[in-house]
Amino acid sequence: MSQITSEIEKCFANLVNNNELKDVNERKEEFKKFKNIGIPNNKSENWKYSSLVNDINEFSDLKITNKRQKINFKKSLLDLNHDKIFLVDGALYDAELNQEGIKLSELKNFKKIENNNSLTYLNNAFARDGFQLEVSENLKVKKPIIIYNYFTENLSPFSFINIKNSFILNENSELVIYFNNIFLSDKKYFCNNVTNIDVKNKAVLKKYLSHEHNKNSSLYNFYNINISEHAKFEYFNYIQDTFSCRDEIYANLNGSNSFVSLINLENLNQNYNHESKWIINHNKPNTKSSQFLKSALHDKSSCVFQGKIFVDSVAQKTDGYQLSRALLLSDLSKFTAKPELEIYADDVKCSHGSSSGSVDEESLFYLRSRGINEKDAKKMMIEGFLAESISKITDKTFQEIFLNKLALSNEY
Amino acid sequence: MIEIKNLKTSVEEKKILTGLNLKINKGEVHAIMGPNGSGKSTLSYALSGKEGYDVTGEILFKNKNLLELNTEERAQSGIFLAFQYPIEIPGVFTNNFLRTSLNSIRKSKNQKELNAIDFLKLVKEKSKSLKINQEMLSRPLNVGFSGGEKKRNEILQMALIEPEFVIMDETDSGLDIDALKIVSNGVNALRNSERSFLIITHYQRLLNYIKPDFVHVLSNGKIVESGDWKLALELENDGYGKYLN
Repeated sequence: MSQITSEIEKCFANLVNNNELKDVNERKEEFKKFKNIGIPNNKSENWKYSSLVNDINEFSDLKITNKRQKINFKKSLLDLNHDKIFLVDGALYDAELNQEGIKLSELKNFKKIENNNSLTYLNNAFARDGFQLEVSENLKVKKPIIIYNYFTENLSPFSFINIKNSFILNENSELVIYFNNIFLSDKKYFCNNVTNIDVKNKAVLKKYLSHEHNKNSSLYNFYNINISEHAKFEYFNYIQDTFSCRDEIYANLNGSNSFVSLINLENLNQNYNHESKWIINHNKPNTKSSQFLKSALHDKSSCVFQGKIFVDSVAQKTDGYQLSRALLLSDLSKFTAKPELEIYADDVKCSHGSSSGSVDEESLFYLRSRGINEKDAKKMMIEGFLAESISKITDKTFQEIFLNKLALSNEY
Repeated sequence: MIEIKNLKTSVEEKKILTGLNLKINKGEVHAIMGPNGSGKSTLSYALSGKEGYDVTGEILFKNKNLLELNTEERAQSGIFLAFQYPIEIPGVFTNNFLRTSLNSIRKSKNQKELNAIDFLKLVKEKSKSLKINQEMLSRPLNVGFSGGEKKRNEILQMALIEPEFVIMDETDSGLDIDALKIVSNGVNALRNSERSFLIITHYQRLLNYIKPDFVHVLSNGKIVESGDWKLALELENDGYGKYLN
C-alpha cells in the first residue's frame, strides 16, 4: 500500500470512529472499493496524460479542517440582479434565495455516485459537505443563481476536502447558474469535488463556471449528469491560469430528444495546465451533443483534452459533434488531444475534429496593415479565437459577462 | 508623394520585381496593369510591408524611406492597401476592429482617440453611401461576407482612416456590376488633390469607373510601358502578348 493510501486510511478511521455518523457501513463499502483501485497513476490509460496524479501524492499529511473563516462577501458580488449561494471551503455557508420553488439543503449524509473511479469512491466515503439545489416542476427561474465558492486561508496545508453537490431540475423547469470559484488561499490543498446533476423531462439547465488562478491547489471536478427526454444541459467553463486541475464529465443522454453542450475556454500562461475528460453517452435515439473547446497556450502552458462520444446500439439518429482547437503561442506550449468515438448504432451523424497551430500570419498582416501594432493585433486575434467559445453560450447576459472578463484578462 | 527607385524583390531566391521605378505625385491616380505573374501583388506587399520578402531599392514617401518602417508604421504614416482577398478573422468583430484600427492611427498622429459613441456616429455616416448596414458591422470581420461586402468593407476602412496613399490590389475581382459601381463611387468620393492612388488590375473595366491619370504596364517585374488612360484601352484590345518576350 502506498504511503498516501495508508495516510488516507488513518483519516478514514478517524472519520468512522465519529459516533454521530449514521452511514458508516455504506462509507466503509465505498472506501473498500477505493482501496482496491488505489490512488490514480499515469499507468492507467484514463490518467495517462494527467499532471494531477503527481500532485495527489504530495498530500501525504492529510488533515480535514473544520474551521471557517469570515469573509467579506460584498467584494465579489456581481453587478447583476441575481440570487446568491455562499460556500466556504466546500460547506454551505449562507444563501439569499428570493424566488419561490427553489429548495436548497445541506448534503451531509452519504450519497452514492456510481462510477468506477477511485476518487469518486473516495468522495463517496468521505464527503460530508456540500448542498443540494432543487427546482420545482414547471418553474422557469427568472433570476440566475450565482454560487460564490470560496477557498479560504483556513484550509490547513495539505488539506484534503471532499465535496458533493447535487442539482435537480424537475420536469419542465429552467435555471441558469454560475459557479464562481474564488481561490483566496495560497496553501496547498486538494479538493475532490463530485457533482450530480439531474435534468428531468423538458427541463433546461445552463451551468457556467469560472476557474481562475487556483494558486497552489489541486482540483478534481467530477460531474455525473443525467439528461431526460426533451431536456437540455449547457455547460461552459472559463479557465484562466489554472494548474493541477482536472475536469471529468460524464453526460448521459437518457431520454430521446435530449441535448448536451459542453464548452471550454482556456487561457493559460507560464507553466499552467488544464485537463478535461468528457464522455457523452448517447443512450436513446434522437439525442444530440456538442463538445467545443478552445485553448490559447502561452509560454510553457499545456492543455489535455480527452473527449469521447459513445453511441448505444438503440441510439439511432444520434447527432454528435466535437471540436477542439488550440492556439500554440510559444514553442514550448503543448496541446494533447485524444478524440474518441465508440458507435454501436448504424444511423448516426458524428463528427470530430482537433487542430493546433500558431497565430495566422496572413491575419496578423491584415490587422497590422491597418495600423494596429503587432502586440495588439496578436491580442485581438487571441481574444477573437477564445471568444468563439463564449459565442456558444446561449444566455446573452452571461455571454456579455464572460466577454468582459476575457477583455480584462488580456490587459497587460 | 511617393517615389519608387530600383525596387527589387525576391522570395526564396525567386526574383519577382527586377528594378521597378515609379513616381506618383500628390492627387494623381496611377493604374498598373499586367499579365498574371508579372509581380503586381508583390508590388502591393512590398509597399505595405509584408514580411517574408527580400526587398532592395528605395521607396520614398513623404521624405522617408518606407523600407525602414514595419507594416503598422507604414499604415500609420498614411499607406493603405485595399486587399484583393480581405482576410476572414473569426471572433474579431468588425466594429471593434474598425475602431481599434482608427484609434491606432489617430494615436500615432497624437490625435484624440474616439470613444464608442463618436466612433459609431462616424462609421454610420461613412457606411451609408457604401450601402453597409449596422448588422454587417456587428459580425466577425469578413466572416461569411459576400465578395461585394468584403470589398465594400475595405473601402469603408479607407474612408475612415483617410490615408494619403492608397494601393488597390485587384479590387474589381469578384465584383458584379452593381458592386463595382458602389466601390468605384466610394473611391471617387475620396479622390482629392492631397490623396494619391495606385490601382492594380488585370482589366480595363474598373478604369471606366475610376479614370486614371497614368497607366503603366508591368511585365517581368518592371514597368515596360507608360501612357495615359488610352493605354488601358489598347491593352484591352491587343492583350499583353507583345510584352511577354
